[in-house]
Amino acid sequence: MSLFKKIAIAAVASMLALPALAQDFIAGIPRNEALIIQGPTAQNADWFNIWAPGGGSNTNGLQQLTTDTLWFINPEGGPDAWQNALAAEPPIYNDDFTEMTVKLREGIFWSDGVEFTADDLVYTVQTQIDHPGMGWSAPFSINVASMEQPDRNTVIFKLKAPNSRFHTLFTVRWNAAWIMPKHVFEKVEDPLAFNNNPPISLSAYVLHNYDKAGNWAIWKLRDDWQRTSIGMDWGQPEVKYVVYAASGNPEARVIAQRNHNLDVINDIAPEGMFSIMRDAPSTAAWLPGFPFAHPDPTLPSVLFNLQKEPFNNKDVRWALTLLIDIRAVALGSYRGAANLSALAVPPTGSAPDDYFVPMQDWLANFELDTGARTIKPYDPGLAGQLANMVRGQWPDIPTDEAQLQRMFGFGWWKQDVQAATELLQKAGFTKNGNQWLKPDGTPFEIRVQVEGDAIPTLARAGTVIAQQWSQAGIKATVDVAGPTHGQRMGTGDFETAIFWTVETWGGHPDLSFFLDSYRSDFIKPLGEIQPPRNLQRWEDPRLDEIIDKNRSLAFDSQEVTALGIDFLKLAVEEMPMIPLMAYNKFAPFDTTYWTNYPSAANPYAASGPFWSNLRYMVVSLKANPDAPK
Amino acid sequence: MNGYLTYVAKRFGQFIFVVVTGVTLAFLIAHFSPVDPIEQTVSLLTNFGSTDPRSVEILRQSLRELYGTDGSLLEQYLTFWGRVIRGDFGPSLSAFPTPVMTIISRALPWTVGLLTLATIISWVLGNTLGAIAGYFRNNRAMKVVGVLVMAMQPIPTYITGLTLVIVFGFLWPILPISGGAQLNLDPAMTWTYIQSVITHGTLPALTLVLVGMGGWFIAMRSLVSNIVTDDYVVYAELGGVPSRTIFSQYVARNAMLPQITGLALSLGNVFGGAVIVEFIFNYPGIGKLMVAGIYAGDYSLVLGVTTISIIAVAAAVFLIDILYPLIDPRVKLG
Repeated sequence: MSLFKKIAIAAVASMLALPALAQDFIAGIPRNEALIIQGPTAQNADWFNIWAPGGGSNTNGLQQLTTDTLWFINPEGGPDAWQNALAAEPPIYNDDFTEMTVKLREGIFWSDGVEFTADDLVYTVQTQIDHPGMGWSAPFSINVASMEQPDRNTVIFKLKAPNSRFHTLFTVRWNAAWIMPKHVFEKVEDPLAFNNNPPISLSAYVLHNYDKAGNWAIWKLRDDWQRTSIGMDWGQPEVKYVVYAASGNPEARVIAQRNHNLDVINDIAPEGMFSIMRDAPSTAAWLPGFPFAHPDPTLPSVLFNLQKEPFNNKDVRWALTLLIDIRAVALGSYRGAANLSALAVPPTGSAPDDYFVPMQDWLANFELDTGARTIKPYDPGLAGQLANMVRGQWPDIPTDEAQLQRMFGFGWWKQDVQAATELLQKAGFTKNGNQWLKPDGTPFEIRVQVEGDAIPTLARAGTVIAQQWSQAGIKATVDVAGPTHGQRMGTGDFETAIFWTVETWGGHPDLSFFLDSYRSDFIKPLGEIQPPRNLQRWEDPRLDEIIDKNRSLAFDSQEVTALGIDFLKLAVEEMPMIPLMAYNKFAPFDTTYWTNYPSAANPYAASGPFWSNLRYMVVSLKANPDAPK
Repeated sequence: MNGYLTYVAKRFGQFIFVVVTGVTLAFLIAHFSPVDPIEQTVSLLTNFGSTDPRSVEILRQSLRELYGTDGSLLEQYLTFWGRVIRGDFGPSLSAFPTPVMTIISRALPWTVGLLTLATIISWVLGNTLGAIAGYFRNNRAMKVVGVLVMAMQPIPTYITGLTLVIVFGFLWPILPISGGAQLNLDPAMTWTYIQSVITHGTLPALTLVLVGMGGWFIAMRSLVSNIVTDDYVVYAELGGVPSRTIFSQYVARNAMLPQITGLALSLGNVFGGAVIVEFIFNYPGIGKLMVAGIYAGDYSLVLGVTTISIIAVAAAVFLIDILYPLIDPRVKLG
């Protein structure tokens, strides 16, 4: 036999022998008892101190499954959006918001058997105040003057200044100030240098095992899950183990789910989602049909650097808005699976009912002075047009307008090149051939900054918008900033950028979540780091007035929504950023082993694996009776 | 002997020079990176939360003090060298306060194991097949092998890797496509764990072998093709020396010398990781760590990985230099 033949036979024989080496996907845990969620690779795998900076991975289940705090807000909205967790009832403020009283639940225990009491809450706040550098040290130091503990289940916070939103420090949308176990940390010399390994749990799951290289962490249902806030309210969970597993690149994640080895994917590109929804009948999504996506309560927008000319001119900003054909942006970025927003709030959670529906008439009648005439730029039918454009590919898309609005958005601005031309002329711009010149005679050039591959949909949106501006005679180029994107926006080193500076509670109309940071006294000069949120450095006395008034209102006041509408009207008139669409997240669920995932029809919890609200999904899943044994 | 010692001393001086220059350059590049680890941590702590701007300012200042990133570049450079000499690269800034060496020591065995094995296999396969193809130039089977290897050579690593992922992970799902070992399996010297490591490493290793083999094959085939026409080989053939002896003792042995140099350099490179392969297969190695460090602006981690890599490559070159005169007497000392 020739050497070549020997080598070929050996190669084939070894390939055929490989299946013999196949192992179960998870060692020692039956697959039908485990929920597998896409996780990160944690470099600090040994660290479970979530209160120390960098010292506790908040995306591998620790935050989602073992921590707890006073209140939660379901970002999907609904009548039960507000949930009392460790607190027995909502916060009680005094008249001038200088005092907040918290009544705690009784009968809640840490996983090591120690009872949770007001001591833990007071200890959490005081320890963080005493240790600058801990995650919530700064906001507690700024707000808390003193604490009183009239009994073992009540804490009264005396505040340094009136703050009607103090309770939001303990209210979870994505995260919040988690309660520390006093009996563990009080024995530690330096809470910043303590790894808290193994962590004890205040929620329904506890650490079972983890990979020191940070590729997986496994959490097990507590035997005494009833003695947790989630256990008391949500009943017995069926998921026994939750596995957060780093699942590799997007292709590997899709394949892993097709092989039923990954139940929950955090986010994939639209193409991956379409492929999985077409070919894998066991997959569920937020929407059962196109566009499948879950709209996050964040609002990708074109941010203008308002401290740079000519973006400080409202007419220029509006001109750039009217040069955009949003249908092309939706197709280019999300392949049409976008949820448009003309307003400066994401169209998700309770926002459609709180803001979008009530403001349709105002938007339709909104008039813009182009300098040559007055126009009504709003097109309420754009969602329907978008649906029609993709209907050829997805024939099941409904035709009912109200339904389409919830899927594709309520409308956007008409592309109107003539109006944009008039607005630029009003701002002193001139045209030389097809090139717009600024009032000083130099070419109008714009850099559109995008992050790049980390958020591909937004990079694509930026590219389409830059192309549209270029076609209109503006020299627009795309600037891929990679990991420096956030920092450059922070220091004002950008002209325009695709990012979000508006995030909301989702499940509550109060806009303080982002709006409080927009006050003019927080605005920094270019070169200095602007705090998160108002990266466009929008400054307006009318805006300050709205913020001040909102601060003086109770969180659940009826006036909050009216004030929110005032803000949204001002944002439309001034256009400090061009809201584009919700950040649509494609998170497919495999139903082979588990069912009852949250969906638009049953929005009982957030669906993102890294959101703390995910705990409500985990305890609500039902074992699929048809799952392989 | 004195001549050899002088030669070794000179080469050692070169080794030190290369290490100091390389590490200094790495230090400067890492510190001039526009990504600020403090801002990355601030972003991590404030992302998605309702954040009071005054709190963010206080947090930023606290982190600067905690991470010790204050101080001039020169001060940081001197501190850094002090740490390198002690084998301590300080705390990671993206996984604070876990020491960089702890993080590296977890990733290094995976990379060294995978790359060493893949390098040796591709070296042995490439050279063996290359030598056979060069010696038996007219053999049809070896021509086919040559075409296949040449066809594989220009295919980018990520295409080869993704193809293997699709073929063996999806179409014929017989091998794991992600991670270094099975979930919930703690490292131990047991057959279950070893088997798991082997199956998880098969596709990454196969990718590296398929991609890496071509270079060795082509180089060896051309070396052998030249040697077979040398006078001493022709003379041996005319003298009736058996073909197998000529191939193994006269041809392959002489062609091997530059390939051994190449192998030593390649083995030195294993400490740098195989970024693309580790990324495709989510392999817990040093390459993936390096990319994560760059993205997070964690210059302590980046410097730790690059310093180890620089020292490893320089040490490999140094070793070859001092061993070469012992292997090849034609190398002149001094």
